[in-house]
Amino acid sequence: VRCQQYPPLRALQASAVLRRASDEHKKEPLTSSSQQHFDSPPADHQPEPQEPQGPHPSYTGQGGQESEDYESEEQLQHRILTAALEFVPQHGWTAEAIAEGAKTLGLSVAAAGMFQRDGSELILHFVSECNTKLSKLLEKEQKLVQLGEAEKKPIDEFLRDAVEARLRMLIPYIEKWPQALSVLLLPRNIPSSLSLLTSMIDDIWHYAGDQSTDFNWYTRRAVLTGIYNTTELVMMQDSSPGFEDTWRFLENRVADAMAMSNTASQVQSTGEAVVQGLMGAAVTVSN
Amino acid sequence: CCCRALLSRPHGALRPRRALAHGPEMHFGFQTVTEEERREKIYQVFENVAKKYDVMNDSMTLGIHRLWKDILMHKMNPCPGTLLLDVAGGTGDIAFRFINYVRAVRQRQLQRKLKHQQNLSWQEIFESYQKDKFNSLGDSQVVVCDINREMLKVGKQKAQHLGYSEGLSWVLGNAEELPFDDDKFDVYTIAFGIRNVTRIDLALQEAYRVLKPGGRFLCLEFSRVSNPLLSRLYDLYSFQVIPVLGEVIAGDWKSYQYLVESIRQFPPQEELKAMIEDAGFFKVDYENLNFGIVAIHSGFKL
Repeated sequence: VRCQQYPPLRALQASAVLRRASDEHKKEPLTSSSQQHFDSPPADHQPEPQEPQGPHPSYTGQGGQESEDYESEEQLQHRILTAALEFVPQHGWTAEAIAEGAKTLGLSVAAAGMFQRDGSELILHFVSECNTKLSKLLEKEQKLVQLGEAEKKPIDEFLRDAVEARLRMLIPYIEKWPQALSVLLLPRNIPSSLSLLTSMIDDIWHYAGDQSTDFNWYTRRAVLTGIYNTTELVMMQDSSPGFEDTWRFLENRVADAMAMSNTASQVQSTGEAVVQGLMGAAVTVSN
Repeated sequence: CCCRALLSRPHGALRPRRALAHGPEMHFGFQTVTEEERREKIYQVFENVAKKYDVMNDSMTLGIHRLWKDILMHKMNPCPGTLLLDVAGGTGDIAFRFINYVRAVRQRQLQRKLKHQQNLSWQEIFESYQKDKFNSLGDSQVVVCDINREMLKVGKQKAQHLGYSEGLSWVLGNAEELPFDDDKFDVYTIAFGIRNVTRIDLALQEAYRVLKPGGRFLCLEFSRVSNPLLSRLYDLYSFQVIPVLGEVIAGDWKSYQYLVESIRQFPPQEELKAMIEDAGFFKVDYENLNFGIVAIHSGFKL
């Protein structure tokens, strides 16, 4: 945490907001509803068991002045972005939404100046939060299966459910999501958005039980990425109630993928059988 | 050539260490004076140049200062409802740009709102017009603070002439001791002014004090050019051309000699960044414009 490296003078006089933020956090939980499940703290901080939300350091110190657990700037930025998500349906993925989010935290609207004007950071933050939520969900399901309380799903159903769960997280922001997609495709953002996408697909396959070490690893991920992206695009234009069309599309694509892999292995075994037959014929003929 | 003689002076010897805040010796351009003398001299400089300030700015920088100020405003990207404090804002350039920017953003906001109001009754639309019509700035305000009465006078005249009346106020005040309460402003700017402040650390502390939590500090100032070739050309232009322009246009050689000397005495980008961090600001960063001729420093009160 950067703050801790400063000499004492700075720690005492500075950070009116950062220190106060942890105080506020102790007094009352954040009221925004849908963001309660986000808990992706940075690696250097221990989560508190009694409070389910908020990337705050474990501020259990009694004296505010002497505690070294100041919130870092990154954590504050995370909090602002999380608060800003609430205003996205109204303002879009823009600096205005971030400014409104900062206002709800008691900060000046000028705090939005910390971020890019086009809202890229807000979108990337949202995507990474969704991915984390998905991971936690899949982990929970895996635990249930391990404990024997649930049955292991067949692969196609597992993939279908995972992709559906992930896409459902977009529903509150679906109107402005096309804008977000276009921002994610800007050359500046492609490295980050691509790495978030690939790590999410990787996660899904991991929990699906994929342990391949050959070229299958690549094909599986490429196939699932294709399924995810196309389903996402279909969802953008879907106006059916409850997005039924999208889920049906997803089901069909997953079934296609399964059939394709079956066909591939069938072709391979047929090929092998044909080759063996030819070899036998050749041997017979030569004799 | 006098230019070379001036340049060969070791800057370090004349520039006082800011840690020794009580040393009476300070720089006024390349001269050494006491703190009090410096304040007086600077006051006189700006008293003399006030009337021709804008004309001189245009001729010295070939009009580029307008672009610099526009870039500052673009970087600030204020939304309606922002409270701006423009210190050493004298003739109001930043303040007027702020008002224009906020007005434009507000227009777009209102247009967007109208587009969404497709299904309202005429009565509701009429009411929304009433509410928003007289709020063209969206409650944004700018306070221009300057220590020099003459500069403020020129600024007020300009505002009247250009038709700026709403959301603008003029306050006489010292950047080292601002006449405002704590935690009041969203953004604090000081454009080409911090160079003339005698105790920069005090000014930065005051900036920190009057800003709201989350507020932004922006400083636009002449800075160090690192490219050696450009630096030589720039020095040549500064010391040979600018004082002459000052004499010809404003009838005041000495003030403009002070101006270019003070630019050389001002700390470079990294040093100013460290000073801003010392005052308590976070996420301090700077952006060089024109290879370092001008730099915008930005920090947040977090």
